[in-house]
Amino acid sequence: MNALASGGFWAFVGVVAGIYTIFALGLQLQFGFAGLLNFGQVAFMAIGAYTMAILVVKEGWSTWLAAPLGVAAAGAAGLLLGIPALRLRADFFAIVTIAFSEIVRYVATNENGLTGGSQGTIALGKVGTAAQYNGEWVRFQARVQGWLGVSSKDVAMLVIVWTVAVVLLTLVWLAVRTPWGRVLRAIREDEDATASLGKNVLAYKLQALAIGSALAGVAGCFYAWQFSFFSPDDFAPLLTFFAWMIVLIGGLGRVWSVPVGALVFGFLFAGTRFLDFPPLSYLSGADRAYVRLIVIGLVIIGLVLARPQGILGKRDEMVLE
Amino acid sequence: MSALLEVRDVVHAFGGVRAVDGATLDVEAGSITGLIGPNGAGKSTLFNCISGFLRPQSGSVLLEGKRIEKSAPHRIAQDGLVRTFQTPHALTRMTVLENVMLAAPRNGGERLGRGLAPSARRRERAVRARAHELLELVTLDAHADALAGTLSGGQRKLLDLVRALMVEPRILLLDEPMAGVSPTLRVELLGHVLALRDRDGVTLLIVEHDLDFVMRASDRVIVMNDGQVIAQGAPDEVRADERVVDAYLGARHEVA
Repeated sequence: MNALASGGFWAFVGVVAGIYTIFALGLQLQFGFAGLLNFGQVAFMAIGAYTMAILVVKEGWSTWLAAPLGVAAAGAAGLLLGIPALRLRADFFAIVTIAFSEIVRYVATNENGLTGGSQGTIALGKVGTAAQYNGEWVRFQARVQGWLGVSSKDVAMLVIVWTVAVVLLTLVWLAVRTPWGRVLRAIREDEDATASLGKNVLAYKLQALAIGSALAGVAGCFYAWQFSFFSPDDFAPLLTFFAWMIVLIGGLGRVWSVPVGALVFGFLFAGTRFLDFPPLSYLSGADRAYVRLIVIGLVIIGLVLARPQGILGKRDEMVLE
Repeated sequence: MSALLEVRDVVHAFGGVRAVDGATLDVEAGSITGLIGPNGAGKSTLFNCISGFLRPQSGSVLLEGKRIEKSAPHRIAQDGLVRTFQTPHALTRMTVLENVMLAAPRNGGERLGRGLAPSARRRERAVRARAHELLELVTLDAHADALAGTLSGGQRKLLDLVRALMVEPRILLLDEPMAGVSPTLRVELLGHVLALRDRDGVTLLIVEHDLDFVMRASDRVIVMNDGQVIAQGAPDEVRADERVVDAYLGARHEVA
């Protein structure tokens, strides 16, 4: 069957775009509002996903308890990283975050007893058994599917993910419109000026970092549920840069630009899967996978040239120093 | 009159350079004190030590008798000592009004999740009204909704000033308020500074190279050179002080 015509496939693309929306929303809050150069966002996604899966498989917790704890663990990790690292200048902070994300991935790869190591979550349980952490989730998804009366479980997932995404987007949107958000934007513009006006810059940066990390944790749980299995390689630094692309495509410093960026990126990423017409079809499938990335890169370069402020960004803010 | 701000033997060195080398001075409550000295005398470094942006390596800074030399900048600002910067620090991608509103103290809505509470909304309305008042004072209200990055250099100086006033300081430290300001705006700025002392009872410590401004505005003038206070007194006394002339024009030196 032609995948392009398959509704299930596009529902899947929509689910992934929804997960990316939640993931990139955290980065938007951190960078787009507070100016924090976080190049390690994927680490918090990994912490959320692993915490949830480990608690369910090893400790026998309910998913409904394990997932909030995964989110809290991701937020707490952001806080713990931020307390020492946010005292550094912006560029050094960026380097620490990318190092942190690699540390998390290497720990997940090598701490076999805790994470299942490079085999991934399938090795979380007893030797010789394939561990599953999403039984409760699958049942919940089936119930939602029944309520909605839809034929595909992907459509049920689509509704769940985007409902959560819209709720989180709305909460962040409300928060950044208050004086709290004004302090964050002031820190992005000029830390010294903001401190000189009596604002505790470090405290606000920590809040933005922790909330953004917790959002990545939410995305991590959905990622885990969507794919039923994950391994440390799912959390390579590339994923962080997907979030960066989404934020830049959508536009910086805007909440609702995140889903726009995520949808454009998601469909671009999925759509390039179908570049199998000549001359591209002469390439092997594996080679075409790289061509896809090149095409996405070119489209993004073109977009940045034509619309440097992103799809929903404001041009007049771009030209100011 | 009592000293609102006391600086005692403050030392701050960058590597081997002792930028501030045992500076001691007092700023009387309700006064305008001018701080002058040639480039490199340590004035800006001393400002940073007082306002918490640098931590002095030794010595102490007292605000109303309370030691503040180890406090963070935001704490010192909350305690009523607010500084401006030599180059204006406008928050360029925020509106002029937002720049001023940001500076409001005791704003409950700045706490996460409190912004939508009725009390926070009331406070925010009061803050907005006060910000408009201050902007009107310096004739920037017409630009209230413009991005601060669109303002000219002189306008940014005025914005920095009213933003600092929004914090409701008891003592205001101005770092070269006249630098890069046009002559007509200078006259206006002088008027604002005098009004701050006379009308609002704000104490001011002003670093400035425009000696004419310093002599006209100041009740007392303090002169720094090589990281130390070399003279202080009424403007006329300082003007006549030989050490001050030496510091500015260079000491007489023997020709080989």
